[in-house]
Amino acid sequence: MNTKRLLTSPGLRPFWLVVMLVVLWDLLIRAFKIPPYLIPNPLSVAKQLVAEWPMLWRETLPTLYATLGGFALSAVVGVPIAMWIAYSRVVESFVYPLLVFSQSIPKVAIAPLFVVWFGFGLVPKVIAAFLLGFFPVVVATVQGFKSVEGDVIDLARSMGANPLAIFLKFRLPHALPAIFSGLKVSVTLAVVGAVVGEFVGSNSGLGYVLQKANGTFDLPLMFAALVILSMIGVLLFLVLELIERWLMPWHASQRHDVAATA
Amino acid sequence: MQRRDLVKLIAAAVLAAGAAAPALAQGKDKVVLMLNWYTYSEHAPFYYGKDKGFYDAEGIDLEIQEGRGSAVTVQAVAAGSATFGYVDVPTMIKAAAKGAPVKAVGVALQTSAMSVMGFSEKNIKTPKDIVGKTVAMTPGDSMSQIWPLFLKKTGLQESQFKTVSGDAQTKLNAVINGQADLLLGYVMDQNIKLQDATKKPVTPIRFADYGVNMISSGVIANKDTLSGKADMVKRFMRATTKALEEAEKNPEAAVDATLKAQPKSGQRDTMLVGLKLTTDLYHTDDTKTLRPLRVSMKNVNESLDLLVQYGGMDPATRGKPEDWVTLDYLP
Repeated sequence: MNTKRLLTSPGLRPFWLVVMLVVLWDLLIRAFKIPPYLIPNPLSVAKQLVAEWPMLWRETLPTLYATLGGFALSAVVGVPIAMWIAYSRVVESFVYPLLVFSQSIPKVAIAPLFVVWFGFGLVPKVIAAFLLGFFPVVVATVQGFKSVEGDVIDLARSMGANPLAIFLKFRLPHALPAIFSGLKVSVTLAVVGAVVGEFVGSNSGLGYVLQKANGTFDLPLMFAALVILSMIGVLLFLVLELIERWLMPWHASQRHDVAATA
Repeated sequence: MQRRDLVKLIAAAVLAAGAAAPALAQGKDKVVLMLNWYTYSEHAPFYYGKDKGFYDAEGIDLEIQEGRGSAVTVQAVAAGSATFGYVDVPTMIKAAAKGAPVKAVGVALQTSAMSVMGFSEKNIKTPKDIVGKTVAMTPGDSMSQIWPLFLKKTGLQESQFKTVSGDAQTKLNAVINGQADLLLGYVMDQNIKLQDATKKPVTPIRFADYGVNMISSGVIANKDTLSGKADMVKRFMRATTKALEEAEKNPEAAVDATLKAQPKSGQRDTMLVGLKLTTDLYHTDDTKTLRPLRVSMKNVNESLDLLVQYGGMDPATRGKPEDWVTLDYLP
């Protein structure tokens, strides 16, 4: 009974899926005899992850800082801009198309210029992470603020609520779920942005490790770095989900088994 | 009625062309040569050989594809997506030591083209001048791996200069914009790119002048190709040998052929300089009298020593020069 519960416990479900995928990965390599210089086997990746852990951890920190910096900037800049867009049709018609336009510029193409403009430090990586993470926040927040029903606002107004109260009691709570889904997409993209920045020019970080491992055909190390990158994304996503749950326990998306979405 | 005749005529022509095309290509081997990088002066001999019909004459229908770094090209040849690769041979050896079924069938650049370079106005002419300066390099590439040996041979310490790391483009940008004074690059590649971008003269300090010598670019093939299509490989290498020889003799024509095929690959006059710097490396003292691509095995052996000491190669996989390079397919 106990083992059965362990096997089907919702919190562990993704873990079992990961185990299955790793086994599938290993089996496919064996079945199709995929050589290790094309795709390494999971065991060699795990070994490298353990053997190189001190170095990997040291290089994880700069990437994490760049990710967090870029994400924080996305939230701090993205949400106010989105509110501005949602409140004013004029601003929307001016700014929104420009944002979409800027989003379509491939960041990889302009990333080398960030190094030229801002040097080899943390700044170009934060900017790359920001540029990737910024857009989903804006789109989702605009969507959130616009989805408030006019009748609700009218009712509030008729009962004498001032604009600040309407914002705090109706608009913001209504927009929060959408804002959070934007933030969650943003944080995973910020990881990608940070690595793009590191690829282009950096003396440290997981992007630097990836580049170096690629040059020496150390594919296990490369995959180990990729595993850590994915873990950063997963952890940050989970943190956001916890904050979301804490901020709006009332929301429909939270009304189910607590561990199910973990 | 007339229109229908026209349609028939066109249909017939299309059919005829369709039938003729395979007939034309019949007996010719379709071969893909993947370069180590986007086209620059070093690759001119291949475009020249294709343009002059050296490959056609050997029954080879050659397609030249640009690359994104030697490592990627080696993987493409190992996986069979390209027939031949033109890559940094030490990079290939490292991949082969990890099991990639590839082998070099000729080494074009037998002296190292590696150097550390900056604008001449900075007055950095000898290794001593590097002290206190900033050097840009790409982590994991062949030059940054051998750099410690250059430091050792010249008595420099890591602490005596600053380092910045970035990809190939960032390295150039850093020197052009003054974020770095020097970069690790090839005499016929980055040297020319810096001059093209700024019109300023560049002074390279060659690793080879300080006793750091390593074989460089060469032609590689999959081992399956070598065993299964030996005759085709011999014909390809015959045409390639001729292409290298003729490009050395007629650099202008070789550069023109390259620009005809790849108009954006550079500026004519600096490409010409680059090609001459390339062909200078086709021979060492040992191979002066030989045709190009015939590297001396002693030279390969020394490069293997360096790979074990500085290139992160596992000594257990070192092997003999003949394990990685064969001259059996050369004319």
